[in-house]
Amino acid sequence: MNSRERVLKLFKKEPIDRVPCFSGMGNITEEGIKKLGYKFAGIHLDAKMMADTAASTYKLFGFECGVVPVDLCVEAEAMGCVINVYPHAEGILYPTIKEKLIHKEDEMDIRLPADLASRGRVPLLKEAISLLKKDIGNDVAIGSYVLGPFTLAGQIMELNDLLKLSFKKADKVAKLLDLMADAIIIVAKEYEKAGTDYITVREMGATSDVLSPRVFKSLILPPLRKIIKEISAFSVLHICGKTNDIVPFMAEAGPTAISVEQKNDVTETRKKLGKDALIFGNYDAYNVLVAGDESLVRTTVKKCIDDGVSAVWPGCDIWPTVPPQNMIAMLDETKKYGGKQ
Amino acid sequence: MADEAKKKEILEKLKNSVIQYDEDTCKEAANEAVEAGMDGNEAIFDGLVAGMEEVGRLFEAQEYFVPEILMCADALYAGLDILKPHCRQMDLGVKGAVVIGTVEGDVHDIGKNLVKMMFDVSGFTIYDLGRDVPLDKFVEEQLKTDSELVCLSAMMTTSMVGMPKVIEKIKAKNPDCMIMIGGAPTSKELADKWGADGYAEDASNALKEAIKMVSFLKKLRDEKASKQK
Repeated sequence: MNSRERVLKLFKKEPIDRVPCFSGMGNITEEGIKKLGYKFAGIHLDAKMMADTAASTYKLFGFECGVVPVDLCVEAEAMGCVINVYPHAEGILYPTIKEKLIHKEDEMDIRLPADLASRGRVPLLKEAISLLKKDIGNDVAIGSYVLGPFTLAGQIMELNDLLKLSFKKADKVAKLLDLMADAIIIVAKEYEKAGTDYITVREMGATSDVLSPRVFKSLILPPLRKIIKEISAFSVLHICGKTNDIVPFMAEAGPTAISVEQKNDVTETRKKLGKDALIFGNYDAYNVLVAGDESLVRTTVKKCIDDGVSAVWPGCDIWPTVPPQNMIAMLDETKKYGGKQ
Repeated sequence: MADEAKKKEILEKLKNSVIQYDEDTCKEAANEAVEAGMDGNEAIFDGLVAGMEEVGRLFEAQEYFVPEILMCADALYAGLDILKPHCRQMDLGVKGAVVIGTVEGDVHDIGKNLVKMMFDVSGFTIYDLGRDVPLDKFVEEQLKTDSELVCLSAMMTTSMVGMPKVIEKIKAKNPDCMIMIGGAPTSKELADKWGADGYAEDASNALKEAIKMVSFLKKLRDEKASKQK
């Protein structure tokens, strides 16, 4: 069973030899960028460089997937926001939104550009997906990600205003989130056309660190459900931070799998969602994988598996400066321990 | 001088209007405090800040979330704008200047603004660099203003890693400067490792940490006052 079969069988809930070690979020490494002779700031605007870099994590460490995009600005950019890729940065700076679309409440009534699917870097991403698929698609599953509706809304308008309005004028926000869902569906469908095997919907802005489970259910769940219903690839719904009170709603949104980070008590989540649910994540992508030593990397693999995750899956983007020996240890430990359950 | 009962009533009104994120009532109470000739500092600390302390507790109890905190902050500022011109110059025994901003690569500023609010109520001189701030700008601004405190905020792991560079540079040039880091991906371990003096992992903790700092300054003020007596 190769990595691709293993991951696809996992999504289909068919028997597998061991849990896979993969991600639906960013996982490029400085090691990979260096080996290719690229610069981080250069890979955002070049499909080949992006695909090469994304493939390097599998090629160097055996990480069981290939994922693009690399940054979080594709949707907002296609909608008309101006992004900053920090072209002259020496170190690693991820692109951010420089200019928002909505500056005040009465500008919230926007429309989507009719040619959204061909705007910004959507075509570039499609090309990167097909290049990535050609390169390593026989060996590993190819993943892509889109933002969740609330997270995207927080990029195109001031998050401060969005949060207050989600309380004061929930109807207005619901309408905007529904429109965000339409935009996200358009982008996700383009990624599917390019051949992605699974799509992660990253709704990190709607964590229970920020929004109450009550607001999550009434305001965030409906557009999430709408998006996931339209995704025909396998889907993963990811939310960072505190999520224990909302995992039932995350499952209700209907994804193939849910993904959480280390703040989630996975033992409890497993109990809540039952033995058949696909639960990914919980692996601390920074404090363990980047800042921890090899032994912590290994014990965390075991702990996550013992607590009931369905895959060893870092709970966030892997920070590119990850020490190569930690990546190797994570994969090695998953192979050793991942079949024992 | 306002009589005690009236004073108590106004303080309660200020406090509750913050908790209930009621901007209009907060303005009204602040105007009443001014009319009654109350000391601005007292109205701010025992009214507005006391309300915000309760908001912090409600957040911890998961009764309030970030939208509520932001609305409470709006109410607090509505009162603060009225009360501030009526404050006696505070002499806290510290100079009280802070450089604050969100590091380059990050455009999130809610946590930063909540911390800024607590420095605002404390009468600090604030040099707010905004968001997506190049790292060297923090170092330059600290040197230029000789601020004793620098607060660095980041909400994304992907932007947090710039922090140790700033800390190192500032500490090399000015070892006495206190540095507070904040944002979802930060931790006590990272703060220690990077040589920061304080940390706050989220908006509520940022609020708590800032309240702690302000409370500490209040204590200094009280101690100083009692020594003078």
